[in-house]
Amino acid sequence: MRAIGIIANPVSARDIRRIVSHAGNLPINDRANIVLRLLTGLAAAAVTDVVVMPENGGIRTQLMRTIERERRMGTLRLPAVTYLDMPVTSTFADSAAAARRMDDMGVGAIVVLGGDGTHRVVASSCGQIPIAGVSTGTNNAFPEFREPTITGLAVGLAASGRVPADIALALNKRLVVTVNGRHEIALVDVAVVAERYVGARAIWKTESFRDLFVTFGEADGIGMSSLVGLTDPLDRTTPEGRRIRLAPAGAAPRTLAFPVAPGLMGKVGILSVETMAPDIACRPSVNSGSIALDGERELTFGKADDVSIRLEIDAFRTVRVSHCMAFAARHGLLVHQSCSPCHEGESR
Amino acid sequence: MNNPFPLSRDGLLTAYRRMKTIREFEERLHVEFAKGDIAGFVHLYAGEEAAGVGIMMHLEDHDRIASTHRGHGHCIAKGVDVRAMMAEIYGKATGACAGKGGSMHIADLSKGMMGANGILGAGAPLICGAGLAAQKLGHDGVGITFFGDGASNQGTVLESMNLAAIWNLPVIFVVENNGYAESTSVDYAVATDSYVDRAAGFGMPGITVDGTDFFAVYEAAGEVIRRAREGGGPSLLECKMIRFYGHFEGDAQTYRAPGEIEENRAHRDCLKIFTGKILEAGVVESGELARIDSEVVGLIDDALESAQAAPLPSAAELTTDVYVTY
Repeated sequence: MRAIGIIANPVSARDIRRIVSHAGNLPINDRANIVLRLLTGLAAAAVTDVVVMPENGGIRTQLMRTIERERRMGTLRLPAVTYLDMPVTSTFADSAAAARRMDDMGVGAIVVLGGDGTHRVVASSCGQIPIAGVSTGTNNAFPEFREPTITGLAVGLAASGRVPADIALALNKRLVVTVNGRHEIALVDVAVVAERYVGARAIWKTESFRDLFVTFGEADGIGMSSLVGLTDPLDRTTPEGRRIRLAPAGAAPRTLAFPVAPGLMGKVGILSVETMAPDIACRPSVNSGSIALDGERELTFGKADDVSIRLEIDAFRTVRVSHCMAFAARHGLLVHQSCSPCHEGESR
Repeated sequence: MNNPFPLSRDGLLTAYRRMKTIREFEERLHVEFAKGDIAGFVHLYAGEEAAGVGIMMHLEDHDRIASTHRGHGHCIAKGVDVRAMMAEIYGKATGACAGKGGSMHIADLSKGMMGANGILGAGAPLICGAGLAAQKLGHDGVGITFFGDGASNQGTVLESMNLAAIWNLPVIFVVENNGYAESTSVDYAVATDSYVDRAAGFGMPGITVDGTDFFAVYEAAGEVIRRAREGGGPSLLECKMIRFYGHFEGDAQTYRAPGEIEENRAHRDCLKIFTGKILEAGVVESGELARIDSEVVGLIDDALESAQAAPLPSAAELTTDVYVTY
């Protein structure tokens, strides 16, 4: 059975949204606990080997402390954990580098701890390796909230083939932003804002919002994609996207109140909501500003720059945890038949 | 020309002038210190300018800061007179502290600069006092203490974070994380290197920004300072940054990876990153920056010459300024 990759980057979820909104902070020891829960689920699904992105932020220390103790006590039931041999920069670049190496190794799947931003970085570098998200970031439109033990179980069942790929895996849409030939991707949303600097990265000043492009938007979603969810919802599979032209609140025929970030409601003017067809290049409404990918300003552009945004369908694969677990239940994948009848008095 | 930045054109030029002044001050000290005319140690801030200036652009004289052993940049960014600073470093009577403090004890209370500090982590309790004063006096002043990744492990810092939290003080704890506590890597010396986690442990929010990006620091600092002014209490701001020189002048830096400094100077120079952005956007012209460069060089020339020419304090001054009465 192929190894499973885990990317848990301690630098995720540390940005300014902890000040400008009431976004949470998942402490390092909780991230280590999540990895341990993942490993527990993976082990139960017969995964024997796991490769992990190295970091020096404290997750590894706490993880190995537990593993070494259990090994000494003879109670270790987790897969063998190996850390990738790569330099640690303590930036998001580590997530991308680890994803590339895991792709080269041909791991069965990559489990990602993070929010939309971290998942974007991994999805841009892992080729066709399926990813499974554990929601630990700030705005979590892409990864689903779920107990990591279950994610570990599902990933193990999918990677071993015990759940067939056509059930276990989904193909996903993405947005490709091209600036003068340089490509970047977004998994959920691309926002064009009038400020022409990256600054503290997150976007929350709604008066500067000009365009929004999304792959999906759910009415109960958080962040920019909720603008689509609250005007013209779109699911993750329909082969189209949405574009919303935006203006400051009051400067458009209708103004929408929406959850910009956890604990932060904002208002923005809606000029139009349009359908995006796949593979058609769209241009921003303004000729100068910056582009936020999945909620974080990454690129700036000016009048002389050639900027386009395009929707791609069937672009990358994810593990459908709920489908895997439903299949496991239907086919008894976790049922072990007893060899002898139950003893008298034992509960049935 | 449309200005897409969060500062006016004049604000951008002021920020540039301050960063350039720090850089020139430190680069010249690097050369002058090697000549052996300066007593004691100097610790240079070159490479870290965007953090100090990005934060201090939001402050007024009634806002207080408590600095570190690497304090020249904080002093300049807070508006301390460069000539008085240089004279202080040379130990001259015309210095900011009459030549009795040297590099690690430059202070100017009229500018809200409570002092560089040779004791690691000692600025944190001081700034709690400044924050308490602002709170009791009822003005909107804030206090900002700087400390490094090394000093972040000092008990004084952790005790002060607790004090600031229980008293809801208008105080900001700025971790200037340049990756090394003297020569010890942050990866070795800090148990969980997320300072955001440490802040959370004291019930205050914390954020991390790229300290080489002036605009990232400026934007984040603006939010934490506003929060403190409005009575929102203390917070923590971690700036990840680059130290161009050693811990102290004379440090052989054998703990650095081969090529690390050259790589940082080429690609992570906060001053180059800042000028690249404002020039590319067409908000300022290169000629304007060149004029500032020339004025800054002239200022540092003058500061050096006047410091070198100034008299030493007299022996009779030895016992003055020891105690302060209120």
